[in-house]
Amino acid sequence: MENPPVINHKKISSLGLFPIVTLVCFLSAIVIGLISTWTQAFGYMPSIGFNHFSVIHWIRLFSYPGFNSSLIATMISGIGATLLAFIFTFFLFAFSYHNQFWRLLDQALAPLLAVPHAAFAIGFLFLAAPSGWVLRLLSPGLTGFVVPPDWSLMKDAYGISLMLVMVLKEIPFLILMSLGALGRIDVRRSLAVGRSLGYETVQVWIKIILPQLYPKIRLALFAVLAYSLSVVDLALLVGPTAPPTMAVQVFRWFNDPDFEYRLLGAAGATLILLLVVSSIGLLYLLEAGVKLIFRSWLINGQRRSRFFLFSTLSNFLVLALVGVSIGVILVLLVWSFTWRWQFPDFLPATWSTQFWRNGVLQIGGPIWNTISTGITASFLAVILVIGCLENEILMLKRGLKTNTTKILWLIYLPLLIPQIAFLFGVQVTLVILRLDGIWLSLVWSHLLFVLPYVFLSLGPIYRSYDQRITDVAVTLCRSPWQAFLKVKLPMLMRPVLFSAAIGFSVSVAQYLPTLFIGAGRFDTITTEAVNLASGSDRRIVSVYALFQLLTPLMVFLSALFIPRFYFRQRKGMQI
Amino acid sequence: MLKLETVQIYIDGRPLFSSLSLEIKPGEIASIMGPSGCGKSTLLSAICGNLADVFVLSGDVSLNERTILALPMEKRRIGILFQDDLLFPHMNIAENLAFALPSEMEKPEKKEKIREALMKAGLSGFEKRDPETLSGGQRARVSLLRSLLAEPEAILLDEPFSKLDQELKDQIRSFVFETIRSMDIPALLVSHDHRDCPQGQIINLANQGE
Repeated sequence: MENPPVINHKKISSLGLFPIVTLVCFLSAIVIGLISTWTQAFGYMPSIGFNHFSVIHWIRLFSYPGFNSSLIATMISGIGATLLAFIFTFFLFAFSYHNQFWRLLDQALAPLLAVPHAAFAIGFLFLAAPSGWVLRLLSPGLTGFVVPPDWSLMKDAYGISLMLVMVLKEIPFLILMSLGALGRIDVRRSLAVGRSLGYETVQVWIKIILPQLYPKIRLALFAVLAYSLSVVDLALLVGPTAPPTMAVQVFRWFNDPDFEYRLLGAAGATLILLLVVSSIGLLYLLEAGVKLIFRSWLINGQRRSRFFLFSTLSNFLVLALVGVSIGVILVLLVWSFTWRWQFPDFLPATWSTQFWRNGVLQIGGPIWNTISTGITASFLAVILVIGCLENEILMLKRGLKTNTTKILWLIYLPLLIPQIAFLFGVQVTLVILRLDGIWLSLVWSHLLFVLPYVFLSLGPIYRSYDQRITDVAVTLCRSPWQAFLKVKLPMLMRPVLFSAAIGFSVSVAQYLPTLFIGAGRFDTITTEAVNLASGSDRRIVSVYALFQLLTPLMVFLSALFIPRFYFRQRKGMQI
Repeated sequence: MLKLETVQIYIDGRPLFSSLSLEIKPGEIASIMGPSGCGKSTLLSAICGNLADVFVLSGDVSLNERTILALPMEKRRIGILFQDDLLFPHMNIAENLAFALPSEMEKPEKKEKIREALMKAGLSGFEKRDPETLSGGQRARVSLLRSLLAEPEAILLDEPFSKLDQELKDQIRSFVFETIRSMDIPALLVSHDHRDCPQGQIINLANQGE
């Protein structure tokens, strides 16, 4: 067999700059942010007159009224949401993968992912509140309520409702990550081998495929854990209030006009980081324990499953997931067109477009900030990710053993370190450098969180591309650039655009970076929606939540339909 | 005996090949040859019960006098070997083999079976080894052992030697054929390389075209 053609790599060796620039850009923010926050946590903040290190703020933190309750709610909602989302995701793969329910989920995945956390939480609140749609559906016939009851299932003291919302929102993310990872496992033939050995499909999934899948999505799971333990916007909307979760409490301290509270906030932020690190350690221990306990079960030869009920439950879960998400969108739509809607009516008595008209007039600025920041951040992220991946391919071709995959995991750090643990430190540093409140700083702060998601979604597909196609193209057009632009990039257009859309939706959802790094000068639809949700008219809030939902949805739809349209004559490029 | 009676596979209403009938006796290894895309692997998928929804199968397949087409894959008792060994990376060699043994078997008996199997394959002492640390030939042998430990009534070989280099191919081919013959079960091999086929029935699927 002939060897594949060799490219003159010297011409494109500047690719080596991509991982360096990317890592410096990322690590500088995190290291500076963490060091700054840690020094403040130990009482050192010369700019406001605290010139000596002390542990007084830690003592104040642990003795702060409601500290224990706050910590418990944080752990229940954060760790509970992560474990449940993970278990349900595996459950869905084991029992529903590739049945008709899965096809429904598959079709709903992009819209599910596109719904921002805050919009989802607002809609969920409107569904499950005492005057929400669910109770309206049941009242007065089944409940007897003619006025909303004075109890609430939301904002409970233990963070259960927050946990539930996060579970529903994180399952699609974990499914997406799992689907990417499954591309690296020969699922079809593994199923064939397992079944030819006499195992039922569900048993093959549980014993063969899921144990191979877990290590490949471990990082994504840790990201979910870090996010769930430190989320602010979602906790403001559906989390406990008195006391709130730790992240919300810390956020309030950071915004307190009394500067001394910022030191308390820094101690709290550091505690959240410790909580995340120890929870990741706990997950590792749990993983080792599960491996130990189930090792003999894996090979006990039990071929038949007694999980018929589980299959039904799994299919029900798919329906619930899709149903709640549709319900969330519908209730927001109904509220946004409502003029008068009394309890327990199932639908409004009178409708109006008044709030949309007002909303369109008022939301221009936030929409512009959202789109310009999101598109710039996701565009830069795609360029950096492609640059890093191309460098990786180049290094592998040159036979260099120190390939960048070993160090590029550092890119995921912004997902594993709670935002609140380092963003305040970054903000303080930017203030000192007089770089706070600048649009480019805002884009950079969004890029920190956009880039890991772009890497996570694009990396596996990009790496699985058959590089020999580009090699052949280079021999034909004699230019690596031409081959890249005319062959490789068009072939990868679909995953590139999809990952950019994921990046954009991540940018749209950013709350803390926009407030901290934007220094309050850049309102986005997310900051506006969260701020309004705490006390404004449901009709106005719904309009803002829908804008927050529609913006990334449009980008997702474009990412799906542009390649489909562009390659409409190419059967091999259709899904 | 593995028996195919007037088997045809259709895609979009078109047959992949004309009606195929075949009888493979215990201990016999029949071969199906043909160029890529002629339907060789699809035929194996149909026999083992893993045919994709886009295909339609007509005719009958029986194994030891029982019709198997209505049975799900896991109940057909047909082992399959692919060109990739598909060893499970989260299990060591002994665990990969134990996976194929029946649940009723006691642990010491399982251990003994695995030890014996590995010895026959020249892999004694490999029980605790990670599949990743084995050579291509060793992995291929473990993969065959795993299929056979499940005590299939027939075995299908989907170009199992195509990724091996020539020297290794000769070794593994002898090992696979001898082991299958010693098990006295029918086997059907598909390949596009006539050197892979043992003596016996050889059907060229390309000649079976419309």
